[in-house]
Amino acid sequence: MLARHAESLFWAGRSIERAESTARMLDVTYHGLLEAMPWEAERSWMDLLKVLWLDRPFAELERGVRAATVSEFLVFDPDNPGAILSSVGQARENSRAARELISSELWEAVNSFHLELRSRNLRADVEARPHELYGFVKRSCQMIAGVAGETMPRDDGWRFLMLGWMLERAEMTCRLLDVRYSQLVTAGATGGFHHWLQTLKSASGSEAFRRRYRASMDPADVVEFLLLSRTFPRSVLFCLASAENGLARLEAGRPTLTRPQRLLGRTRSDLEFLDSHELLEGDLHVFLDQMLNGVRQVAESVALQYFRNAQEHDIHALDPYGPVLELG
Amino acid sequence: MALSGLFEGYDPGGFFDEAVTSEGAPRDHYEALVRRLEGLTPHHLAERERVRDAAFRSAGITFTVYGEGEGIERTFPMDLVPRIIPAGEWEHLEEGLIQRVTALNRFLDDLYVGDKAVIKDGIVPQWLISSSDGFQRAAHGISVPHGARCLVAGIDLVRDAEGTYRVLEDNLRNPSGVSYVLENRAAMTRVLPRVFDDHLVRPVDHYGPSLLNALRRVSPAGADPEPTVVVLTPGVFNSAYFEHAFLARQMGVELVEGRDLVVDDHVVSMRTTHGLKRVDVIYRRIDDSFLDPVVFRSDSILGVPGVMSAARAGNVTIANAVGNGVADDKAVYAYVPDIIRYYLGAEPILPNVPTYLLWDADQRRHVLDRMDELVVKPVAESGGYGMLIGPSATDAEIAAMCRRVEADPRGYIAQEVVALSRHPTLVDDHLEGRHIDLRPFVLCGDRVEVIPGGLTRVALRKGSLVVNSSQGGGSKDTWVLASPEARTSRGRP
Amino acid sequence: MMPVTRYDVVYRTSIHYDDIVRASQNELRACPASDDHQQVVAYRTTTHPASRVLTYQDYFGTRVDTFGVREPHVLLEISAEASVETFPRALVTVSPRVAELRSPSFRDRYAEYLGRTGHTAWDDDMAEAARRVAAISGDDVVGIVLALHRFAHTSLRYTPGATYIGVDVNEVLAKAQGVCQDYAHLAVALCRSIDIPARYVSGYFFAASESTGEEVDGDVVSVQTHAWFEAAIPGWGWLALDPTNALQVGPRHITIGHGRDYDDVPPIRGVYSGGGRPNTQAGVEIRRQTAVAQQLQAQQ
Repeated sequence: MLARHAESLFWAGRSIERAESTARMLDVTYHGLLEAMPWEAERSWMDLLKVLWLDRPFAELERGVRAATVSEFLVFDPDNPGAILSSVGQARENSRAARELISSELWEAVNSFHLELRSRNLRADVEARPHELYGFVKRSCQMIAGVAGETMPRDDGWRFLMLGWMLERAEMTCRLLDVRYSQLVTAGATGGFHHWLQTLKSASGSEAFRRRYRASMDPADVVEFLLLSRTFPRSVLFCLASAENGLARLEAGRPTLTRPQRLLGRTRSDLEFLDSHELLEGDLHVFLDQMLNGVRQVAESVALQYFRNAQEHDIHALDPYGPVLELG
Repeated sequence: MALSGLFEGYDPGGFFDEAVTSEGAPRDHYEALVRRLEGLTPHHLAERERVRDAAFRSAGITFTVYGEGEGIERTFPMDLVPRIIPAGEWEHLEEGLIQRVTALNRFLDDLYVGDKAVIKDGIVPQWLISSSDGFQRAAHGISVPHGARCLVAGIDLVRDAEGTYRVLEDNLRNPSGVSYVLENRAAMTRVLPRVFDDHLVRPVDHYGPSLLNALRRVSPAGADPEPTVVVLTPGVFNSAYFEHAFLARQMGVELVEGRDLVVDDHVVSMRTTHGLKRVDVIYRRIDDSFLDPVVFRSDSILGVPGVMSAARAGNVTIANAVGNGVADDKAVYAYVPDIIRYYLGAEPILPNVPTYLLWDADQRRHVLDRMDELVVKPVAESGGYGMLIGPSATDAEIAAMCRRVEADPRGYIAQEVVALSRHPTLVDDHLEGRHIDLRPFVLCGDRVEVIPGGLTRVALRKGSLVVNSSQGGGSKDTWVLASPEARTSRGRP
Repeated sequence: MMPVTRYDVVYRTSIHYDDIVRASQNELRACPASDDHQQVVAYRTTTHPASRVLTYQDYFGTRVDTFGVREPHVLLEISAEASVETFPRALVTVSPRVAELRSPSFRDRYAEYLGRTGHTAWDDDMAEAARRVAAISGDDVVGIVLALHRFAHTSLRYTPGATYIGVDVNEVLAKAQGVCQDYAHLAVALCRSIDIPARYVSGYFFAASESTGEEVDGDVVSVQTHAWFEAAIPGWGWLALDPTNALQVGPRHITIGHGRDYDDVPPIRGVYSGGGRPNTQAGVEIRRQTAVAQQLQAQQ
């Protein structure tokens, strides 16, 4: 397939997942802080910006770290390319660029989400009904995922869409754990199980967790579940394994592994053979950072392997009159 | 036999009506359709219109109308009453179209890779060619297999007050609209399926394979026996993007933009996830001047640097060929009958509309005196842009056009107003006559083929003669009836 | 035997980019023409980075070398080496009247060279100036062309770097300075404004040595590509004149090609992809072979 289309689909998947995960994290942070002290709140919002790697651009705006300013920045600030509104806009542009490869239903789902989001009064929503807003974003993204799964043929286009989707989700689940973890450390309540439960809820994982771990109240089980579950579709391992499977199908019949496959395989096995109890005794933050780095390298190698040929068209005329300035 | 029902009060109005004679009776080939329509109630029709709209929306058939800010995507209005062309009439048209496009291909080959015999022999003056905006000197010496320079031609036909088919203009660069031909038919079979029962309508849905076949036939000598064809589009923001995507889908080939193609050592390839893949034929839907920034507009970012050298090296075929605009220049149009006689030694089967050439002082004087009775068109535009229709123009518009003509007589032609034929068209809850034209599509690969029918455009505004989609026009499904002999061998569409 | 002069010409262009360029695609028009006045003996182009050069004759008959470089580079060097023999040109021996310019067959034959183009879009003032100059020369077309040629020569002061291609020809005349292509465009516009077909010619000129002021066989003269013009004379053909040097075009002029204006025969044209900005330098070296060498060649 065309390298440009593959790249568009990859980013369409990433952008949708990014919008959904950002909404999830905003939701957790917001509701986790309802009863907190103001200074706790500031720290938590700052941590959220940090795990999203948006702390610096936000600091440059000099707006003060408050629920309202950070939420607005992450939901609809036009200067923030990672804001939910921007992500959905990018998902739409990328879907449009690969319009021929995606189903009409998928295009319509993405397009109408984009239009509906734009037509809302987001400032008022963030202020008055954040939970409803984040719920709307999550539901829309899940609906898009469902439509994609129901209507897209399982060809290379689908694989690039899912590859972007899964890598972004793996990253975002790591970040979700990270932000939760840092909040718990801040609050000095590493063992506060209801906080972890919130985390599970924000990943839509509390029910699945209950079925798997019954009455467990052990934070290590939560971390294990979100990192290592083989069955829960938002676990990091599940995402990496799906991405790995997709990469393998892209290269069916090839006798050796590609660089993205090798990098992804390594990252996945680092995770897979991990003991979550040991992890909690060590520094979870450091480990999550390693995972994030690993995923980022995979994404970069995918770009090199498959999109390298998709170049932006920057054609310049050789100054046609340069050489004749000195004409005889 | 009087008309009733939806036809109650239907008046041909002194024009040539496609469906009804001047005495008010249905023409033979419309008899069955008229009877069907008479049996429909307005309620019925409203329901059928809803089916139609749903069909178009679900197929995603839209074109972009540019107004303020972002373009709006609209569905193209298709009238529910189909246009019918009987077999004998179509045979005549087909013959005339093949003759015309064959001659135009010969003419273009003569100008670009021949010895310009048509000029040397005094059929067409050199200055007319030299002054044509569509004449591309950069295409000099680039040949096309089989001389199929107009791989797709859209020839606009009208019928005058006597019912004579005449050529109004040739579209030899990037004629569009064929997607509506196919989609109209698909919608029509859903909207009024039973109406097809009474007729033997020739199918049109082989257009995609036929186009692909023609494109493959013009692949460069020495290319892969299974040549790679792509459709080159300016991108999603082009108003005809829907059609570009539609055609790529119909042919099952890649839809590419300029940035997806790369020229290396005068060979064109597309950039894929698994490296570069060689391209043999480019069905391009971007204008000449944007095709290759090395030889045309150097500021174009839609094109492919080096694609002209690749074509010249015989490593890729560009269809339609570069420089066809010289042959659909509206001033050159006036010479097409002579061009047909010159190359084919035969009389033109389809006549032109009487045309005045404004650089000729006598003709110009004559035209300037009668501006209010004539149509004046810029020679290099298409889509009805910049046109003046004398009878409906204001004094100020006429005066402005006179000034433009005086300043640039080569830039305009004038034509007698053709009282375009009319066709019953649904207006609210009844039928009224509306003016129509016809754009058949002609394909040239190693042979010339005409898709039965074509795009019938209808001026939806009462009394209007302007059928262009950008100017308030709609369309009709166009039925060519199979000849009675074919009745036994052909199935229903 | 017709006296023949033989030249070795080396045309070089180097394009330095200030950042890496991923690819470039170019067209070179540097090869001397073979016609009634000159004959190419040998010609070769090389590029660095190396590329596969495709050669063709364009609409105006000029040889074009087209090539692309598809590897990252910061410097593109192009050289064209030609050996060419030039012959003396016959003097015009007809004296057509102005009325002959209006003959439809004459006008149609030269239709390509009668209209305005980007670089030759004369205004009313320029046409008026041309008419004044022509009026002095009476009814003789050759006399009018020679007068316009002189007028173009004396209207501008030769000023390297004074203009860039793309400047309006009327502005060139108003500012009264320019380089060879301005002289040529001005002469072309003047002719066309009074219905004399005229065309732009690109080429090389073997000039006198700058240090000694002499023309020395065997010495290498460093020059630039040159430009002049030709006017169509009824009953004769093209009359070639060099308004920069106020010369009739002769054996020291080596033609590359002609066109309606500069844009039809630019020495180099191209596009590139990447972040760099180009700095283009071009130069021409011409060596006239010594009389001895020429005699030796004649004997062979």
